Amino acid sequence: MSLTGRARNVFRLMFRKQNIEEDLEAELRSFLAMLTDRHLDRGLPLEEAQRAARLELEGLEQVKEQVREVRVGATFESWLQDIRYAVRSLGKSPGFTAVAVLTLALGLGVNTAIFSVFYAVLLRPLPYNHPEQLALVWTKLEKTAAPRAPMSGPLLNELHHRLRLFQDVAGIWVGNGTFTGDGTPEQVKVAFVTENFPALLGIRPALGRVFRADEASANRTVMLLSYGVWQRRFGGDPTIAGTRITFAGAAATVVGVLPRDFQLYFPADSNVPSEVSALMPFQNDIYKGPADLHFLRVLGRLKPAVSAAQAQEDLNSVAGQVRQTYTEFAAENLKFTLAPLHADAVRDVRPALIALFTGAGFVLLISCVNVANLLLARAGDRRKEIAVRSAMGASQGRILRQLLIEGLVLCTVASAAGVALGWIGLHGLLGIRPDYLARMPDVGLNWPVLLFIGAISLGAVLLFGLAPSVVTAKTDLNDTLREAGRTSRAPVTRGVRSTLIAGEVMLGFVLTIGAGLMIRTLAKIHDVRPGFEARNVLTFEVDISGYRRAARINFAKEWEAKVASLPGVDAVGAVSHLPLDDYPNWYSPYRPEGMTGDQAAGLIADYRATTPGYFRAMDTKLLSGRFFDEQDRANGRQVVLVDDMLARSAWPGQSAIGKKIEGEHLTSQGFQPVWSEVVGVVEHIRNHSISQERRGEIYIPLEQSPREHLSFAVRTHVEPSALADTIRRALHERDPGLALSKVRPMTMYVERATAPARFVAVLAGAFAALALIFAAVGIYGVISYSVSRRKHEMGVRMALGASSSDVLRLVMGEGLVLTGGGLLLGIVAAFAGARYLRTLVYGISVSDPLTYIVAALVISIAALIGCWWPASRAASANPVDAIRAE
Amino acid sequence: MPDPSEILQGTLDLLILRTLELGPMHGLGVSDRIKQITRGVFVVKAGSLFPALHRLEQSDWIQGEWGESENRRKAKYYALTRTGRAQLEKEKRNWTRQFSAVNRLLESES
Repeated sequence: MSLTGRARNVFRLMFRKQNIEEDLEAELRSFLAMLTDRHLDRGLPLEEAQRAARLELEGLEQVKEQVREVRVGATFESWLQDIRYAVRSLGKSPGFTAVAVLTLALGLGVNTAIFSVFYAVLLRPLPYNHPEQLALVWTKLEKTAAPRAPMSGPLLNELHHRLRLFQDVAGIWVGNGTFTGDGTPEQVKVAFVTENFPALLGIRPALGRVFRADEASANRTVMLLSYGVWQRRFGGDPTIAGTRITFAGAAATVVGVLPRDFQLYFPADSNVPSEVSALMPFQNDIYKGPADLHFLRVLGRLKPAVSAAQAQEDLNSVAGQVRQTYTEFAAENLKFTLAPLHADAVRDVRPALIALFTGAGFVLLISCVNVANLLLARAGDRRKEIAVRSAMGASQGRILRQLLIEGLVLCTVASAAGVALGWIGLHGLLGIRPDYLARMPDVGLNWPVLLFIGAISLGAVLLFGLAPSVVTAKTDLNDTLREAGRTSRAPVTRGVRSTLIAGEVMLGFVLTIGAGLMIRTLAKIHDVRPGFEARNVLTFEVDISGYRRAARINFAKEWEAKVASLPGVDAVGAVSHLPLDDYPNWYSPYRPEGMTGDQAAGLIADYRATTPGYFRAMDTKLLSGRFFDEQDRANGRQVVLVDDMLARSAWPGQSAIGKKIEGEHLTSQGFQPVWSEVVGVVEHIRNHSISQERRGEIYIPLEQSPREHLSFAVRTHVEPSALADTIRRALHERDPGLALSKVRPMTMYVERATAPARFVAVLAGAFAALALIFAAVGIYGVISYSVSRRKHEMGVRMALGASSSDVLRLVMGEGLVLTGGGLLLGIVAAFAGARYLRTLVYGISVSDPLTYIVAALVISIAALIGCWWPASRAASANPVDAIRAE
Repeated sequence: MPDPSEILQGTLDLLILRTLELGPMHGLGVSDRIKQITRGVFVVKAGSLFPALHRLEQSDWIQGEWGESENRRKAKYYALTRTGRAQLEKEKRNWTRQFSAVNRLLESES
């Protein structure tokens, strides 16, 4: 048939449906009449003849339906009909529909939010040219026990010349710099890079160009500005490329502007933050620098189609050549390790995200189970309706389709609601600001996320829509009609429903355990004393890199006195590296008195240069000896403080006071090993993570190691941030060329360090709460359904002398058996799954008994609440009413 | 005797078209004629007959029109259209070709 003919048919069907139906009816009636005539002719009485004719026709309505099904356009029409019918029948039970849609929407919403994060952080390719070719190269110093050490300039040079399977390798190190010149001085993060770095990433500048080879030198500074700095500090000047600006008190040429969305994606331990204000080539010839000054984070681009394993082979052979060339690296047994950039950048967050994603999956499963249960209960109640429909000529397939369409309609509404809920949830998540997830700005509802949600919604329909449909569609016509309201027979679906509920309890239990572990972890982390008291401390940085050595010392001393004299200030001190800050760490080998160089191999400590007031300002406890004081001058005796961790491991069982230790100092000749005397032991400060004591610490008087990077800590008895403006003004009076930055309370650093644990705990807690509510609702649904089915039986029992407490016990027992089964399954699942949480917990074991017991109690309480209502209703029923009810 | 539901759809169409080639006929008449001519091998019940008639009508191969039956009952008579006649010729040729092909296969076996 031609297309127009087909269209005409559809048209005719839709608008002249009435006619066609009447025509068909008349045609079949005439067929019946003629058959009847024939039987009459054979001598049958009228009634017999009519009966015989009807038998021969095999159901007027069935034949009509069969004819309707072959008509062109009928399929389309019957789909429309089914959808209309589904909407109507869902609308008729608003309670059921609301609960089902809300349950599903919550499940889908949770998944929308989590998958948005999961996708943006773990799955979405990094926004660089061919990101799959990018990999970090770490130095492994075996003797020093540093598996992920940065690289020295000469080592990078060796890689540069010897690697065969890499297109290029580049180095980066992020430090501070100050925009001076017009306007207030501004201290910013600057990424110092090798000239090939931007080209290696494939950066296309928004303005100007990237670096040329060998264009920087001691007397020529070039830079690429970040888009943000260009807009903010330079007013988006479109002619800025090629012009000179003032940077760190000297002239620098801006060669270009980075793209607006440019970010660096490096692992946390590389101390390369995601946002920097400028890229600058190293000004000194780093390739000729000291071979043991490890500071470069090295990024390589593999040649096309080179696998990670092949690239690692390449690195191994270069490491071999380097060990032959440099005796010190032979002694270290130097190796290089390759780590694909994306995987390495997310290595810290991956376990948490996978755990959360799994948790969200559990929540969805539980919500599907609940909806399946609701549908099953409903299907039980609808058996009669369905029997009537099939008596009216609906085929089995048509009924199945009808039920599936109902599920589909339900799910479409729920998906839309779920995406909306997910969007709200996502903004809540962004509100927690887990800024350790560098790619948070990329998180959003994009196509992959919507596709994923579409796919899981469809999966959910099949899961919870198909099973009840099959059960229902199989309903035997005669049995159901004959049952005529007698519902005391246990329906087939009860076993299925009970199993589903036990599974739901299991999932809920596992989720609650997971949440319990995360919440206890968070509590433990909050209880940790990080080695200082963050409350009432204001911190800020002052960039004094433009000052010479003596000027730095003077500045620190005078400025400390100045701030101490401000009203509201109790104590003030300065340190080269503030705890929990993202400034690149200062750590180096050390050698305690009484050890040979070989024995001390592998000993590494964090180094900090501090002023005398620092520990008092931070409220770090002195365990023995003394703090620094006025006698510890630049030209005085070389002294250090150590933390208890280092003291214990260097001189176990002895007092560290008076012991000598060799460590790295910033002398007037640069970084040199110096012997000094331990004058005091302080408690360990958690510099890198609240939950980890990473390594021992050595503190040097700032006067004896005047690092150019300086953070101040000010202890106040007023609101810390109230002091910010006073301090800003005071500094401007002292020297208008100095930049103040990162003015923030110390609590902010602590909060940022606990953000990952809080993020995980809040989400896990929310998942568990949802799971508990769903479980209670699910149990309530199953038990009250079962109670309504057994009303008659209960009535008989009570009539025969059972007390209402017997009935209560009977019903509660049913619920508790389900719960108990679920709990048993849950224990097994939790033990099996807990090891995946090992990297996420702190201060407790993954099989923490308290958590398990509390979780079991919480689940049981939820189950009891779910059972109580229907049970008490059954117990308080009048037996006579119960028996008569049917 | 094969169950009527086992008649292939194409075969049923051919049977109906061929029946109507002899002249317009109503549903019961078509069913009777098929039974008669095939000597009871094919009994087409209403559940297969009417869907087939309507399908053929939608394909414009036959056309239904209300008329009066032999015992003065109102009945819908179906007649072959021009395209229906062409279709019948095509199906006849197809059938003969297939039939003789199957026959050859069966004979070659013995």
